[in-house]
Amino acid sequence: MTPLAPVASPGLAALHGAAAAAGLAVSSSASWPETDADGEVTALAGFIESNFSPLLAEVAGRALRRRDQPPVSGKVTAVVMVTALGDVTSATRVAAAVDAGERVSPLMFFQSVPNAVAGYLAARWHLTGPVVCVSGTSAGLDLAALLIDDADADEALVVRADLAVAGGDGDRAAAILVTGPADRERPLTA
Amino acid sequence: MASAPAARRGTGSPVVTGAAAASAYGRGTEALLSGTLSGRSAFAPVQRFDVTARRVRFAATMPGFPELLTEVTRAAGEACDDASLSPSDRARSPLFLAIHGDPAMPRAPEADKPGFGPEAFAAAVAGGCGLAERDIRCYMSACVAASTAIADAAAMIARGHADRVVVAGGYLVDCDQFALFDAGRVLADDGQVRPFSAGRRGLLLGDGVGAVVIESRESARARRTPPLARIAGWGRSGDAYHPCQPHPEGHGMARAVTAALQRAGIAAEDLGYINAHGSGTGQSDPAEASALRLALGDAAGTVPVSSTKSLHGQALEASGVLELIVTLLAARKGMLPVNAGFLGADDRCRLNLVLGEPLAATPEFAMSLNAAFGGANTALVIGLP
Repeated sequence: MTPLAPVASPGLAALHGAAAAAGLAVSSSASWPETDADGEVTALAGFIESNFSPLLAEVAGRALRRRDQPPVSGKVTAVVMVTALGDVTSATRVAAAVDAGERVSPLMFFQSVPNAVAGYLAARWHLTGPVVCVSGTSAGLDLAALLIDDADADEALVVRADLAVAGGDGDRAAAILVTGPADRERPLTA
Repeated sequence: MASAPAARRGTGSPVVTGAAAASAYGRGTEALLSGTLSGRSAFAPVQRFDVTARRVRFAATMPGFPELLTEVTRAAGEACDDASLSPSDRARSPLFLAIHGDPAMPRAPEADKPGFGPEAFAAAVAGGCGLAERDIRCYMSACVAASTAIADAAAMIARGHADRVVVAGGYLVDCDQFALFDAGRVLADDGQVRPFSAGRRGLLLGDGVGAVVIESRESARARRTPPLARIAGWGRSGDAYHPCQPHPEGHGMARAVTAALQRAGIAAEDLGYINAHGSGTGQSDPAEASALRLALGDAAGTVPVSSTKSLHGQALEASGVLELIVTLLAARKGMLPVNAGFLGADDRCRLNLVLGEPLAATPEFAMSLNAAFGGANTALVIGLP
């Protein structure tokens, strides 16, 4: 049996680098594509026409399943999404339908913002922390550190997804689960 | 309800020293305040684009065809002027921008799309009003985008991670979002938003652009600029319930409210006004009322509440900053806006709504609430200086 060839993930490397810069420890991580077996991403019920939400769900699920310790009951996990352009496919198809005078699917309404798949993840994995979407990797990890320092979350799932545009790299996504180190500063409660 | 650890915060005191806004009531904070205190909602048939194929044809829009980049840049610049920021002050102030994205991106040629990202848009806003070129951050978290940006800016300033942040948000009613919301059958087909009311039929979109300058009290004092208000407390949480429906008992929002009160160091009874999320939809309003009962106890039945979305409409990513500015202006004026469109009580939404005409009151503390798809919730508490 031929071993699966790993695929380099610049996005995952960037997440790890930003986590280190923000003083966060990485509990687990995942990426897409991760090996050459990652071809078509698994569809996600209720989400149509675009790989954006399925990609986020896939890498997030991988990272959560790989966490080095089982989740502690009551632990609060934030969901921080990072994307440069968002769901380009959905936005482009909605615009085309509007311009052509065609009907827009109600399902496109539900997936029109990145929060929807975050809500899916939160419900599926019981992630009760804040839900945020920002545009840059460093901003995402700095935000995760702030949420942990402020006790709005004990840990943060940071997921980056970018769809292929203009013939560039294929669809790519990466996820890390981060916590504050044990000796992290704990300022007094106001 | 999932328990949460006590909220922490840094010891600094973030204050608002400048604000600017634009809405269907016109440009400027005076227009926003006088419009909301008029009690007359700004909804009208949409003229900006063709809505003949839509189920609902109403929104709250400014006249003509305003451009988002122009409007957000103007508001951010006016907020800086309001805060008396010098050019060098501005050049050291990062921009946190809440937007859905560059409105031109969906129709840009495929090869050009990478140049239409939100960060490029934000960089153009920052460049247009002399803000810092570095540390620009974009928030795209739907209807909590701007309120989350404000919470983060306040938290960073409280911890000494930043001295000053300009938070801006912008949404102008557009044909794509209108078609999506119409397809989702969440728009009010009677042309009015009726938060917490019997017979409510949904939300309506509205133009909203807002910007605030948030800085440390020390920074404001050093510039001899009197604060308009303090950002006394903030809270963010998730429902972990559903991709696009709120938790029916408002568990997540209750935790956000509790965290905001903890950070403000106040009791529920100290709140003098709540500008509710109040979308006017069937599921969201009872969930929010339940959240307020969970978090505030008996005070949920006495604190004056209105949703100014019933007046200026739902400004999506910009809602948090527009509604914080309305809350701030109303508290400073001593007049609380009405919850417009009310037809009658809904037993699931029992709150002390401001009805009929604005309520004369001078709250020492007021709260602005927002919720979004994904079960995201935010609560912001302002205190008058």
